[in-house]
Amino acid sequence: MDKIIFTGPMGAGKTTAISAISEIPPIATDVRCTDEESQQRKENTTVAMDYGYITLEDSSRIHLYGTPGQERFNYMWTILTNGGIGLVLLIDNARPNPIEDLHFYLDAFQDFIRSTGVVIGITRTDVDSNVTLNEYYSALMKRGQVYPLFEIDPRQTQDVTILIHALLAVLSQQAAA
Amino acid sequence: MLSETATEQLKQQLESLLDRCQPICAAVVVTVDGYTCAMKQRTTDQYSLERVATMGSTLMSLGDTMTAELKMGSCENIISENQHGIIAFMHINHNLVLVSLTTETNSLGMLLSHSRKCAENMAKTVAV
Repeated sequence: MDKIIFTGPMGAGKTTAISAISEIPPIATDVRCTDEESQQRKENTTVAMDYGYITLEDSSRIHLYGTPGQERFNYMWTILTNGGIGLVLLIDNARPNPIEDLHFYLDAFQDFIRSTGVVIGITRTDVDSNVTLNEYYSALMKRGQVYPLFEIDPRQTQDVTILIHALLAVLSQQAAA
Repeated sequence: MLSETATEQLKQQLESLLDRCQPICAAVVVTVDGYTCAMKQRTTDQYSLERVATMGSTLMSLGDTMTAELKMGSCENIISENQHGIIAFMHINHNLVLVSLTTETNSLGMLLSHSRKCAENMAKTVAV
Protein backbone atom coordinates (compact mmCIF):
# COMPACT_ATOMS: atom_id res chain seq x y z
CA MET A 1 0.00 0.00 0.00
CA ASP A 2 1.48 3.35 -1.08
CA LYS A 3 0.85 6.04 1.45
CA ILE A 4 1.98 9.64 1.57
CA ILE A 5 2.05 11.57 4.82
CA PHE A 6 1.11 15.23 5.15
CA THR A 7 2.63 17.03 8.10
CA GLY A 8 3.41 20.52 9.35
CA PRO A 9 2.32 22.92 12.06
CA MET A 10 -1.28 23.42 13.14
CA GLY A 11 -3.14 25.55 10.61
CA ALA A 12 -0.73 24.93 7.72
CA GLY A 13 -3.49 23.31 5.65
CA LYS A 14 -2.93 19.55 5.94
CA THR A 15 -6.60 18.64 6.32
CA THR A 16 -7.53 21.15 3.61
CA ALA A 17 -4.91 19.78 1.21
CA ILE A 18 -6.11 16.19 1.62
CA SER A 19 -9.72 17.34 1.20
CA ALA A 20 -8.72 19.17 -1.99
CA ILE A 21 -7.51 16.06 -3.80
CA SER A 22 -9.11 13.06 -2.11
CA GLU A 23 -11.54 11.05 -4.25
CA ILE A 24 -13.59 10.19 -1.19
CA PRO A 25 -14.92 12.49 1.50
CA PRO A 26 -11.86 12.60 3.75
CA ILE A 27 -11.95 10.98 7.13
CA ALA A 28 -11.01 13.64 9.64
CA THR A 29 -10.59 13.57 13.39
CA ASP A 30 -11.04 17.26 14.03
CA VAL A 31 -12.02 18.50 17.46
CA ARG A 32 -12.68 21.97 18.77
CA CYS A 33 -9.60 23.88 19.97
CA THR A 34 -9.95 24.54 23.68
CA ASP A 35 -7.06 26.95 24.31
CA GLU A 36 -7.31 30.63 23.44
CA GLU A 37 -4.08 30.79 21.46
CA SER A 38 -5.21 28.02 19.10
CA GLN A 39 -8.75 29.37 18.91
CA GLN A 40 -7.40 32.65 17.55
CA ARG A 41 -5.86 30.74 14.64
CA LYS A 42 -8.56 28.19 13.84
CA GLU A 43 -11.66 26.61 15.24
CA ASN A 44 -10.76 22.92 14.95
CA THR A 45 -7.64 20.83 15.05
CA THR A 46 -6.71 17.27 14.06
CA VAL A 47 -5.89 15.02 17.02
CA ALA A 48 -5.52 11.61 15.37
CA MET A 49 -5.27 11.71 11.57
CA ASP A 50 -6.85 12.68 8.29
CA TYR A 51 -7.30 10.13 5.55
CA GLY A 52 -8.18 10.17 1.88
CA TYR A 53 -6.89 8.67 -1.35
CA ILE A 54 -6.25 9.44 -4.99
CA THR A 55 -5.90 7.15 -8.01
CA LEU A 56 -3.05 7.81 -10.42
CA GLU A 57 -3.19 7.50 -14.22
CA ASP A 58 -1.72 4.01 -14.02
CA SER A 59 -4.65 3.03 -11.73
CA SER A 60 -2.44 2.75 -8.66
CA ARG A 61 -3.94 4.16 -5.51
CA ILE A 62 -2.09 6.55 -3.22
CA HIS A 63 -3.37 6.74 0.35
CA LEU A 64 -3.08 10.14 1.98
CA TYR A 65 -2.62 10.53 5.72
CA GLY A 66 -2.46 13.81 7.59
CA THR A 67 -0.79 14.03 10.99
CA PRO A 68 -1.78 16.21 13.92
CA GLY A 69 0.41 19.31 13.86
CA GLN A 70 1.18 19.81 17.54
CA GLU A 71 4.20 18.13 19.05
CA ARG A 72 2.19 16.66 21.93
CA PHE A 73 0.69 14.27 19.36
CA ASN A 74 4.08 13.13 18.08
CA TYR A 75 3.28 9.47 18.83
CA MET A 76 0.87 9.73 15.88
CA TRP A 77 3.75 10.87 13.66
CA THR A 78 5.55 7.59 14.35
CA ILE A 79 2.41 5.53 13.82
CA LEU A 80 1.39 7.25 10.60
CA THR A 81 4.80 7.30 8.92
CA ASN A 82 5.20 3.57 9.39
CA GLY A 83 5.13 2.10 5.88
CA GLY A 84 4.88 5.52 4.21
CA ILE A 85 6.60 6.22 0.89
CA GLY A 86 7.14 9.96 1.29
CA LEU A 87 6.36 13.18 3.11
CA VAL A 88 4.59 16.37 2.14
CA LEU A 89 5.64 19.09 4.58
CA LEU A 90 3.37 22.14 4.68
CA ILE A 91 4.72 25.29 6.33
CA ASP A 92 2.38 28.14 7.28
CA ASN A 93 4.09 31.34 6.18
CA ALA A 94 1.85 33.40 8.46
CA ARG A 95 3.11 31.82 11.67
CA PRO A 96 5.54 33.83 13.81
CA ASN A 97 8.67 31.93 12.71
CA PRO A 98 8.06 29.67 9.71
CA ILE A 99 11.76 29.03 9.11
CA GLU A 100 11.99 27.66 12.65
CA ASP A 101 8.96 25.47 11.88
CA LEU A 102 10.73 24.20 8.76
CA HIS A 103 13.78 23.16 10.78
CA PHE A 104 11.63 21.62 13.48
CA TYR A 105 9.66 19.34 11.16
CA LEU A 106 12.67 18.42 9.02
CA ASP A 107 14.45 17.38 12.23
CA ALA A 108 11.42 15.57 13.67
CA PHE A 109 10.93 13.53 10.48
CA GLN A 110 14.58 13.23 9.49
CA ASP A 111 14.73 9.43 9.69
CA PHE A 112 11.60 9.05 7.60
CA ILE A 113 12.81 11.64 5.06
CA ARG A 114 16.19 9.95 4.83
CA SER A 115 14.59 6.63 3.95
CA THR A 116 11.92 8.09 1.63
CA GLY A 117 11.64 11.66 0.31
CA VAL A 118 10.03 15.00 1.00
CA VAL A 119 8.52 17.96 -0.82
CA ILE A 120 7.72 21.24 0.90
CA GLY A 121 4.69 23.44 0.34
CA ILE A 122 4.65 26.98 1.72
CA THR A 123 1.09 28.05 2.49
CA ARG A 124 -0.73 31.26 3.44
CA THR A 125 1.73 33.48 1.57
CA ASP A 126 -1.32 35.57 0.68
CA VAL A 127 -1.78 36.31 4.40
CA ASP A 128 1.86 37.05 5.18
CA SER A 129 4.71 37.38 2.69
CA ASN A 130 7.44 38.53 5.06
CA VAL A 131 9.41 35.32 4.56
CA THR A 132 10.21 34.63 0.91
CA LEU A 133 10.86 31.38 -0.92
CA ASN A 134 14.51 32.41 -1.24
CA GLU A 135 14.79 32.49 2.54
CA TYR A 136 13.45 28.96 2.70
CA TYR A 137 15.96 27.90 0.02
CA SER A 138 18.74 29.51 2.04
CA ALA A 139 17.62 27.69 5.18
CA LEU A 140 17.64 24.39 3.29
CA MET A 141 21.04 25.13 1.77
CA LYS A 142 22.48 25.82 5.22
CA ARG A 143 21.28 22.36 6.22
CA GLY A 144 22.91 20.94 3.08
CA GLN A 145 19.50 19.74 1.94
CA VAL A 146 17.89 20.46 -1.42
CA TYR A 147 14.20 19.58 -1.52
CA PRO A 148 11.46 20.60 -3.95
CA LEU A 149 9.84 23.74 -2.58
CA PHE A 150 6.56 25.26 -3.76
CA GLU A 151 4.33 28.12 -2.79
CA ILE A 152 0.87 26.59 -2.67
CA ASP A 153 -2.73 27.18 -1.74
CA PRO A 154 -3.92 23.95 -0.05
CA ARG A 155 -7.51 24.72 -1.12
CA GLN A 156 -6.50 24.41 -4.77
CA THR A 157 -6.58 20.87 -6.16
CA GLN A 158 -4.00 21.71 -8.80
CA ASP A 159 -1.51 23.07 -6.26
CA VAL A 160 -1.73 19.98 -4.06
CA THR A 161 -1.59 17.67 -7.09
CA ILE A 162 1.66 19.35 -8.14
CA LEU A 163 3.13 18.55 -4.72
CA ILE A 164 2.13 14.90 -5.01
CA HIS A 165 3.58 14.58 -8.52
CA ALA A 166 6.79 16.29 -7.43
CA LEU A 167 7.12 13.86 -4.54
CA LEU A 168 6.50 10.88 -6.79
CA ALA A 169 9.12 12.22 -9.21
CA VAL A 170 11.63 12.50 -6.36
CA LEU A 171 10.90 8.97 -5.23
CA SER A 172 11.16 7.69 -8.80
CA GLN A 173 14.56 9.37 -9.22
CA GLN A 174 15.78 7.89 -5.96
CA ALA A 175 14.62 4.43 -7.00
CA ALA A 176 16.42 4.77 -10.34
CA ALA A 177 19.67 5.99 -8.76
CA MET B 1 -10.19 26.49 29.35
CA LEU B 2 -11.56 25.54 32.76
CA SER B 3 -11.58 27.89 35.73
CA GLU B 4 -9.26 27.13 38.66
CA THR B 5 -12.30 26.27 40.75
CA ALA B 6 -13.60 23.78 38.20
CA THR B 7 -10.15 22.23 37.80
CA GLU B 8 -9.84 21.84 41.57
CA GLN B 9 -13.26 20.18 41.71
CA LEU B 10 -12.26 17.77 38.95
CA LYS B 11 -9.15 16.83 40.95
CA GLN B 12 -11.29 16.14 44.00
CA GLN B 13 -13.64 14.00 41.93
CA LEU B 14 -10.70 11.97 40.62
CA GLU B 15 -9.52 11.44 44.21
CA SER B 16 -13.00 10.36 45.14
CA LEU B 17 -13.10 7.96 42.18
CA LEU B 18 -9.88 6.28 43.32
CA ASP B 19 -11.14 6.17 46.92
CA ARG B 20 -14.43 4.53 45.98
CA CYS B 21 -13.06 2.03 43.46
CA GLN B 22 -9.96 0.23 44.71
CA PRO B 23 -9.06 -1.46 41.38
CA ILE B 24 -8.67 1.88 39.60
CA CYS B 25 -5.03 2.87 39.87
CA ALA B 26 -5.05 6.11 37.87
CA ALA B 27 -7.42 8.49 36.15
CA VAL B 28 -7.00 11.67 34.16
CA VAL B 29 -9.22 14.35 32.64
CA VAL B 30 -8.12 15.74 29.29
CA THR B 31 -9.58 18.19 26.79
CA VAL B 32 -10.61 16.75 23.42
CA ASP B 33 -7.59 18.47 21.88
CA GLY B 34 -5.11 16.89 24.25
CA TYR B 35 -4.54 19.23 27.20
CA THR B 36 -4.44 17.62 30.65
CA CYS B 37 -6.87 19.23 33.13
CA ALA B 38 -6.55 16.99 36.20
CA MET B 39 -4.95 13.69 37.06
CA LYS B 40 -4.61 11.31 39.96
CA GLN B 41 -2.70 8.08 40.45
CA ARG B 42 -2.47 5.78 43.40
CA THR B 43 1.31 5.40 43.25
CA THR B 44 3.13 8.65 42.57
CA ASP B 45 4.89 8.78 39.20
CA GLN B 46 3.87 5.23 38.29
CA TYR B 47 2.58 6.45 34.94
CA SER B 48 3.33 9.36 32.63
CA LEU B 49 -0.29 10.47 32.72
CA GLU B 50 0.05 13.60 30.59
CA ARG B 51 1.11 11.52 27.62
CA VAL B 52 -1.62 8.98 28.35
CA ALA B 53 -4.11 11.84 28.51
CA THR B 54 -3.15 13.17 25.09
CA MET B 55 -3.36 9.68 23.62
CA GLY B 56 -6.79 9.40 25.23
CA SER B 57 -7.99 12.46 23.31
CA THR B 58 -6.69 10.90 20.10
CA LEU B 59 -8.42 7.58 20.74
CA MET B 60 -11.69 9.22 21.74
CA SER B 61 -11.63 11.25 18.55
CA LEU B 62 -11.03 8.10 16.49
CA GLY B 63 -13.95 6.47 18.31
CA ASP B 64 -16.17 9.45 17.52
CA THR B 65 -15.09 9.38 13.89
CA MET B 66 -15.74 5.64 13.56
CA THR B 67 -19.16 5.75 15.18
CA ALA B 68 -20.13 8.71 12.97
CA GLU B 69 -18.90 6.81 9.90
CA LEU B 70 -21.01 3.81 10.89
CA LYS B 71 -23.97 6.01 11.90
CA MET B 72 -24.02 4.49 15.38
CA GLY B 73 -24.78 7.69 17.26
CA SER B 74 -22.28 9.06 19.74
CA CYS B 75 -19.30 7.08 21.04
CA GLU B 76 -20.02 6.31 24.71
CA ASN B 77 -16.70 4.78 25.65
CA ILE B 78 -13.66 2.94 24.34
CA ILE B 79 -12.21 -0.02 26.21
CA SER B 80 -8.68 -1.27 25.79
CA GLU B 81 -8.35 -4.74 27.37
CA ASN B 82 -4.72 -5.68 27.71
CA GLN B 83 -2.55 -8.44 29.07
CA HIS B 84 -1.82 -6.52 32.27
CA GLY B 85 -4.77 -4.19 32.66
CA ILE B 86 -7.72 -2.31 31.22
CA ILE B 87 -8.04 1.30 30.08
CA ALA B 88 -11.38 3.03 29.65
CA PHE B 89 -11.91 6.25 27.68
CA MET B 90 -15.19 8.13 27.87
CA HIS B 91 -16.62 11.55 27.15
CA ILE B 92 -17.44 13.79 30.10
CA ASN B 93 -18.97 16.31 27.69
CA HIS B 94 -18.16 17.67 24.22
CA ASN B 95 -14.92 19.20 25.47
CA LEU B 96 -13.57 16.76 28.06
CA VAL B 97 -12.57 13.09 28.19
CA LEU B 98 -12.03 10.85 31.23
CA VAL B 99 -9.33 8.17 30.99
CA SER B 100 -9.22 5.61 33.80
CA LEU B 101 -7.19 2.46 34.18
CA THR B 102 -6.80 -0.64 36.27
CA THR B 103 -4.15 -3.34 36.40
CA GLU B 104 -6.76 -5.87 37.51
CA THR B 105 -7.95 -7.60 34.36
CA ASN B 106 -11.15 -8.91 35.99
CA SER B 107 -12.39 -5.44 37.04
CA LEU B 108 -13.88 -4.17 33.80
CA GLY B 109 -17.37 -3.78 35.29
CA MET B 110 -16.19 -1.79 38.28
CA LEU B 111 -13.89 0.33 36.14
CA LEU B 112 -16.70 1.21 33.74
CA SER B 113 -19.48 1.77 36.25
CA HIS B 114 -17.45 3.94 38.64
CA SER B 115 -15.84 5.87 35.79
CA ARG B 116 -19.21 6.50 34.12
CA LYS B 117 -20.68 7.79 37.37
CA CYS B 118 -17.63 10.01 37.89
CA ALA B 119 -17.87 11.34 34.32
CA GLU B 120 -21.55 12.21 34.86
CA ASN B 121 -20.73 14.09 38.06
CA MET B 122 -17.88 15.90 36.34
CA ALA B 123 -20.21 16.94 33.52
CA LYS B 124 -22.46 18.58 36.13
CA THR B 125 -19.46 20.27 37.74
CA VAL B 126 -18.15 21.88 34.55
CA ALA B 127 -21.65 22.82 33.40
CA VAL B 128 -22.13 25.10 36.40
